Order: sequence, then C-alpha cells, then structure tokens
Amino acid sequence: MPKIKGFNGEDRYNFLLALVGYLGHRDQVSLDELSNHFDLEIEYIVKALRSLNDATAQVGGFEEWPFYIDIDLLEDGIVSLTTADIIDDVPRLSTRQAAAISAGLGYLSSIPEFAGNADIQSLIEKISAGSGRGGAEVISIAPGSIEAGASTLREAILKKRVISCEYINRKQEKTKREIEPLRIDLTGGVWYLRGYCPTNQGVRNFLIEHMRGIEILDREISDVAGNVGEIEDATYVAEITDTAVIVEVTPEAYRLITEFQTVSEPKDIGSGTIRAEIMVGHLPNLGRLIAKYGGSARVISPPEARDIVRNYALKALGESTDFDEREIE
Amino acid sequence: MAKEEAWKPAKTDKSERLFQLTCVLLYSERGLTKRELFYAVDSYRADLAGSSEDDFALNKKFERDKSELREMGIQLSNPDPRSDPDEMRYTIASETFAWPDGIEFDAQQLQLLNLAAQVWAQASLSSEANRGLVRLRGLGIEPAASDLIGFAPRLRTHEPSFIPLSQAIDECIEVSFDYRKADGETTRRHVNPWMLRSIDGQWLLICWDKDQKAVRNFLLKRIVSKVVYRVEQINEKDSAQVTFAAPSETEIEAAIADLESHTASQVATLRVKRDSLAWFHFHMDDQTSATAEVTFSYMDIDLLAEELSEYALDFKVVSPPELAKVIRSRFEAVASAHA
Repeated sequence: MPKIKGFNGEDRYNFLLALVGYLGHRDQVSLDELSNHFDLEIEYIVKALRSLNDATAQVGGFEEWPFYIDIDLLEDGIVSLTTADIIDDVPRLSTRQAAAISAGLGYLSSIPEFAGNADIQSLIEKISAGSGRGGAEVISIAPGSIEAGASTLREAILKKRVISCEYINRKQEKTKREIEPLRIDLTGGVWYLRGYCPTNQGVRNFLIEHMRGIEILDREISDVAGNVGEIEDATYVAEITDTAVIVEVTPEAYRLITEFQTVSEPKDIGSGTIRAEIMVGHLPNLGRLIAKYGGSARVISPPEARDIVRNYALKALGESTDFDEREIE
Repeated sequence: MAKEEAWKPAKTDKSERLFQLTCVLLYSERGLTKRELFYAVDSYRADLAGSSEDDFALNKKFERDKSELREMGIQLSNPDPRSDPDEMRYTIASETFAWPDGIEFDAQQLQLLNLAAQVWAQASLSSEANRGLVRLRGLGIEPAASDLIGFAPRLRTHEPSFIPLSQAIDECIEVSFDYRKADGETTRRHVNPWMLRSIDGQWLLICWDKDQKAVRNFLLKRIVSKVVYRVEQINEKDSAQVTFAAPSETEIEAAIADLESHTASQVATLRVKRDSLAWFHFHMDDQTSATAEVTFSYMDIDLLAEELSEYALDFKVVSPPELAKVIRSRFEAVASAHA
C-alpha cells in the first residue's frame, strides 16, 4: 500500500482538502473504502479525520468548528461528515500539479503503445481546464520510437508467461535465456525488461534492444516470480565482483551519476564539478560508459579503471582512422 | 522515518497551520486583514510578539504561507488592490473550489491518470503529480482494475536547472544562466523560458533569447550555472521578479516545428559491423552482409557523437565528415583526461 512515509506538510494539507471534498458528497463511507480509494493506510486516514474534528477557526471573536466527523460511527469503521460549512468541493489543481500530470500524459501519448489513445488527449485538455492555467504546456515530450519486442513482452507479462530469447549480455556474449517477465521500463528513451531470472534467482534488468527471437512459452511464471511484489525503479543489483570507481563529472555528465548506484552522497567540489563513487558491475564496460561523455566524466581511481577508459579511447582513435572491413570476418 | 512519525497533529505542524488559515479565510465573507489573520490562526497568534512592533518573523512566515497556498492552487484575492498593505482584506478566490463543467473522469481515465502521475522519477515532480491525483480522487471516481500493469514509463531529469526553469515557465519569469556550448565556449544567456521538451531522453529549453532576439533551444545539460530569476527594483525597499507575456500556442507550435525540420534536415550514415552492439542498437537484423549501412536524422551533432561513442568500435562514419571529426575530438579529450 501507500507510500505515506514521504508525506510532508504540503501533502497532508492537500489530502485534508481532498478528503473534505470527497466526504462532502457522501453520506457515509467505510474506512476500508476510504483507505482503498485514496490508497492510504487506515491508521493515517483516522488521524486525518481526527484533525478535521480538531480544526477550529476564529471568526469574529468566536471559535467555530468547521467540520464534524461522527465519532461513534467512526469507531464502527464508518465515516460520516455531518458538518462541512465552508468547503463543499475539492480545490482545483494547482498549475504545478496540472503541469506534472499533463507532462506524464504527454509522455504516455509519446509512446507508440498509447499513441492512438483518445482518452489521453481529452485528459490533457481536462487537466489543463481543471487547473485554470490554460495556454501552452510547461513540459512536453517528443514522440519516441517503440522497441521491437516490447509488445510481445507486454503480452507475456499480462498472461504471466515465461519467455525465451537470445540475449547479448553486458560482456557482449550471446546467450540463450529464459526470463519470467514482470515489467517494462521506458527510461530516457531506452526500453528495459525487468524480469525474474531463474539462473540468478533474482530480478534482473534486460536491455530490450539486446533481445532477439522473443518467444512466449506455454508455461506460467513461477510462484517466486509472481510474488516479487513492487519492483524498485533503481536497476542496480549488487554483486561481490562489483568495483567501486571514483569519478568526477561536470554538468554535461551529471547523468552518469544518476545512472549508477553511488556509494556515498556525491560531493560538489567546486565550479560545477561533482565527485562520486559509483559501483560498476563489469569493469571492461567502463570505457564505453565513460568515453560517451567525451571528457566531461573523468575516472579518478582505481588506476585499472583509468587504464580501461584510456585504452578504449585510444583504440577508438586508432579504429576510427583506419577501419578495415576485412577485420570483420 | 516510521509511519507513526509521519503524522504530527501538533498545532505547529505546517499542514495544520495552512489548513486553519484556509478555513478562517473561507469563513470570512468580506475578507480578513493581516492583523485579523494573525489573531485568528493559532500558530500565528502564538508567535505574536507582544513587545516587538514589526513582528518581522511572523510577517515572513505569513508571506511564505501565502506563497505556499498560491503554489498549491489556493488563490488568495484581495478585493481592493489599492488599499494599504496592512489594511488589505484577504479572501480565497471563489473559483478556487469551482471546477469547470464537464470535468468528469471515468474509471479507465483515472487509471491512465494514475500511470501518468507515476511517470516522474524526480521527487518534487512526482509529489506534485501525486498531490494532483489525490485531488482528482477526491472528486470521487474509482480507478478501473488495471490492465496497464507491467508497464512503467519513467521520465528522468538529471539537470539541476529543470525545476527552477519549469517554475519560471509556469510563472513567466525572465531568467539568465551560463551556457557551455559543445566547443567549451561559455556565455551568459538571458531568456524568456517557454517550454521544456524531452527529445529521446534529452531535455531542451525552448525560449526567446533576449540577446539574439530570436527563438532558441538550449540543452539543459549544458547549463552550467544556477538559473537566476531576473529581479527589478520597484522602489527603494521592494523588488519584484520580471515577467513576460506568455507565448501563444502558435509560437510554441512554430518553435517545435522548426526544431523538427532542423532535425529532419541533418542526416548521418554509418557503416556498421554485423552482430555488434551498434548492429543491435540500430535493429539491422534483416541485413545479411558482414557490414551494412544505416541512415538516420539527428538533432545535434555532439549529442549524436555522444550516443555513438558507446559503439565506437562497431562502425565507421560514412557521412557527414564532421561527425567523424567530432567523435575523434571527443575521444582525444577522453584520452587526455585519463592520461
């Protein structure tokens, strides 16, 4: 259930207003219903209801109680707001709330999977009207391209079936894999499959562009995979063979840090340069990952990591001048 | 933080204070002056320093609360803008709680809204979206049983300039920042920010460049300073943020169309090694020869060089020749940074 751990003052204030608006249109609601509806723990809702009852307003020297929740009914798990003098609806969306949701919808409509969805366009219009800002969007997303295979994988996820495919792993080896697919992630234009890997006995992250010959097998995913529950967005899976690498990045390469698991809080060391310690799974890949940033990302230590990056760059410089097609065979 | 600690219904709690402030304002038909509000809201009253005349801290707190309410879409209005600041009567604008007609969502749509609100990986945008969702749920519809499971699109914003820029766009505030071009040249830019646009995972600011007097696009990752809001001195004591007229939809559409035609006009061709990572990246499976050519358009040559650097050993640039040069100079920079 809900992530109220992150609820701060604004969230609580916002929830109180929404709660009053919701209850104002209903005679009685059970606590369970409320909890399901707002996706919040009952305990939390009860506390919110109590503070509605505690709320007072000084009006012209008199103390008013704007809301009354029937306490006897509440003990039986029933919520009834009998007085609600001043608020009879939920406030409209703030422009920031509307912008964040509209951009989310815009992102969905930029994904080929949802491209033809008429609901999304009408929702974007409604959200904009619902905030009263109107005019152009603050944030927009250009249409992307779909990864071949993503729709087959989605079908497998909905049917809870195991898939098989050929996979190029991070060591660039071609392997035949069976994966119990759980979720498709699309992040920064890159498509990933999050799936339970029976070989590693854990949830792993697969680049969909590295998958070929995806087949849905006539076999349901295992109970272990089915019970994985919520998957964290972070894709890093710790292995004992991982290496801690210290890097320094300028703004052009900040992205590098967010894409890796960092060991400690990254430090600003002045003039926009940030130093961070990242965990790297397969060290030989570091050349590709760092060289991408063209000098904006610099490996400080360990020395073997620096060597890998330098050698990759030198090799690329050599190869790019005398690319010999005969080498390919 | 434990669940138990998440809720502290003390009178000093900000949510309680804002809520009480809202209730007090809603009760009052003709509005309340600042002084009246200071007596009506428990937390303010507790802060009223009987002795001090200016109540500097309390005034600041009230100003902060006002702007928080405004940011959360609770519009304070004051019926007579000419009045003395101390005599101003605050009310909550009546449209704050009035949804336009026809704003209804069915269960299927609420499900899409749910998915859309989960898109943000960035914490502050994710909270904005989720607070919006809480309000929409407050309208009363139950989401349908989800058939969108198994799909988690996420938008990432790595750039510190993203939030200040989106707020400046929202409020039409002029901004300035240092921009470092791919060749390393850094200049101060003064712009009217119009829109943030994500193209293949890269964030771009579409704006009116006040120095160039033209529409310009800036990559957020090349903004290397803090984003500064332009402030103007109104009188000896006060200053205010400088705002501009929001762009029309036509202007925005034209800017996007320009960007798209610019991208379409730039074309690169590569010769790629069979079964390499680049081969997979470009989906060249239907080719049977040892190498094959792929042609595509690109927005920015340095961005393209960055993307291709990962596959540097897998291809040769056929055209344009500048691309090979840019890739080369990037690798020279990498080699010298790791010498």
